[in-house]
Amino acid sequence: MRDRLKTLAWLGAVLVAFTLYPWAFPTKLNLGVVIVLFAGMATAWDVLGGWAGQLSLGHAALVGIGGYTLALLSLRAGVPPWWGLLAGMALTGAVAAVWGWIVFRLRGPYFVLSTIAVAEILRLVAINWKDLTGGAEGLFLRELPRPFGLDLFNRTVEFYLVLAYLGVALLVAWWLSWSRFGYSLQAIREDQDSAMAMGINPTRTKILAFMVSAALTAMGGSLYAIYLSFFEPHIVLDIGLSVELALIAYIGGAGTVFGPTIGAVVLLAAGDLFRNYFQQANLLIYGILIILVVRFAPEGMVGGWHALVRRLVRPAPGVPVEVRGERP
Amino acid sequence: MTTFLQVLMTGILTGGVYALVGIGLSLIFGVMRIVNFAHGEFVALGMYASLLLFQSLGIDPYLAIPLITVGGIALGAVVERGFIAPIIAAPEHVSILMTVGVGLVISNLLLFGFGAHPQSIFTWYSTKTVRVAGVTFSGPLSVSFLITLAVILGLYWVLTRTEIGRAMRATAQNRDAAELQGINTGVARMLAFGIGVALAAVSGTLLLPVLYVIPTIGGVFTLKAFVVTVLGGMGNVLGAIGGGLILGVTESLGAAYISSGYRDAFGLIAFLAVLLLRPAGLFGKSRV
Repeated sequence: MRDRLKTLAWLGAVLVAFTLYPWAFPTKLNLGVVIVLFAGMATAWDVLGGWAGQLSLGHAALVGIGGYTLALLSLRAGVPPWWGLLAGMALTGAVAAVWGWIVFRLRGPYFVLSTIAVAEILRLVAINWKDLTGGAEGLFLRELPRPFGLDLFNRTVEFYLVLAYLGVALLVAWWLSWSRFGYSLQAIREDQDSAMAMGINPTRTKILAFMVSAALTAMGGSLYAIYLSFFEPHIVLDIGLSVELALIAYIGGAGTVFGPTIGAVVLLAAGDLFRNYFQQANLLIYGILIILVVRFAPEGMVGGWHALVRRLVRPAPGVPVEVRGERP
Repeated sequence: MTTFLQVLMTGILTGGVYALVGIGLSLIFGVMRIVNFAHGEFVALGMYASLLLFQSLGIDPYLAIPLITVGGIALGAVVERGFIAPIIAAPEHVSILMTVGVGLVISNLLLFGFGAHPQSIFTWYSTKTVRVAGVTFSGPLSVSFLITLAVILGLYWVLTRTEIGRAMRATAQNRDAAELQGINTGVARMLAFGIGVALAAVSGTLLLPVLYVIPTIGGVFTLKAFVVTVLGGMGNVLGAIGGGLILGVTESLGAAYISSGYRDAFGLIAFLAVLLLRPAGLFGKSRV
């Protein structure tokens, strides 16, 4: 209980710290929006990929469905974006239910491969179904209504919108860190057969996790569509985006409340910093970091940090200090 | 009828190259139980290595094959020792992430070294064709197909007739039992990865005369290789040949008679269907 509230306090502190960003870096607002948005989407990915341990490399499909739903409803039917956002979340939730029902009978590498295949098929549909999606040329959100007089294309407004989104995503992750549902997911991740023996229905639980993860990802996808205002299948449905979300979460620390956020801050800030040196090759740093993390800190930066603190604060293992005094 | 034959033959020729890419992935999965997500990047690496050899030294891609093979085995062995061997006992998502990382490093280094613009080579035979009974065969693709056949036969011979081939097959069947028989399974895994990488790189060399190459082309081949191996059965090296041909023909027929825009989707749909209905592949039991 105390841990739970402590995490919640940290969560509030992180969000408050982020609210200062537009004042601190007024010239870097684009980067700020992307960092916070990707932190949110990586946290959403982590619900399935980290907490439930079902590595997905197809989450771009959910970003795309969210973005396209908002944009198409707005362009074709004049539906305001907040309804578009909710519609996108509902639709991806339903898609995830069906998708999960089909693919969760597969385990391990087969599951990962199936997520890639489904996402790629969706991308091809988006490119080829020109009448609906505008095809490879993409869609252009020319204008959006102004709720409470707020211009949704203003970067500062967008920053606080995506920050609210990150808040929602972090609250979900925080809920997973102490709820029964969260523990069920971790049990499945550690050992599906034992979890089943404990009375957890793995398929149903995983589908639920997928739905939560999908709806949250779609929420981010809708906001991404507004931020981009012009978007095409190549950006929002690409496998590169799926890989990026997975690596952000994993490098930061999969299955932790703050890991994906830390990963987004570190990777996207580093990407921006090195952009001048590496130009298009800025994903190099993702590759190098994931290799290092997998090799030396399998629990990501968060886990690596905890291990480091433990090693510094506590005496080295093998020197049982307390026991020594008790011996006769 | 001629059109149909034409489409079919083009599919078979393309399928041959897919098979070569897929066999490497299948061999690696069979022996090591890891899915190599960097597989397509090794195809791209083979393409760029051949490009470099052609442009700077004037070595024809087909003559570069022995060099690419040796280089591929060496590179694969080094990557296996340095990156895969240390995590071989870890859960499978670890090796997936590791190979994803290796792939990203390769494709971004290629981007760094060669730039993002598409490159190609032009040889005297690039546009040569052969006409048999009204069906036109692309010269380079036909040569690739013959070389692919030779490579597959060679691999089959290595796997069934040589000591190291038997060691690899034994490792694939049962690692512990293989070790009890005195087989160094670490060496077997290293060689399997090396051979797999070499097969991928050689496919890249074979494709260079007919394709443009860009640094990010690897992702396409990784996906194709997944489809081929799942159709043929993961770890089933002979099945991968069938998988490659099926994929090539499906794409070719689908693109000609249904929709060319969905060319890449046909393979993926077949892939999902096989994954869900016959996870062991179309050709039954897994066998290296």
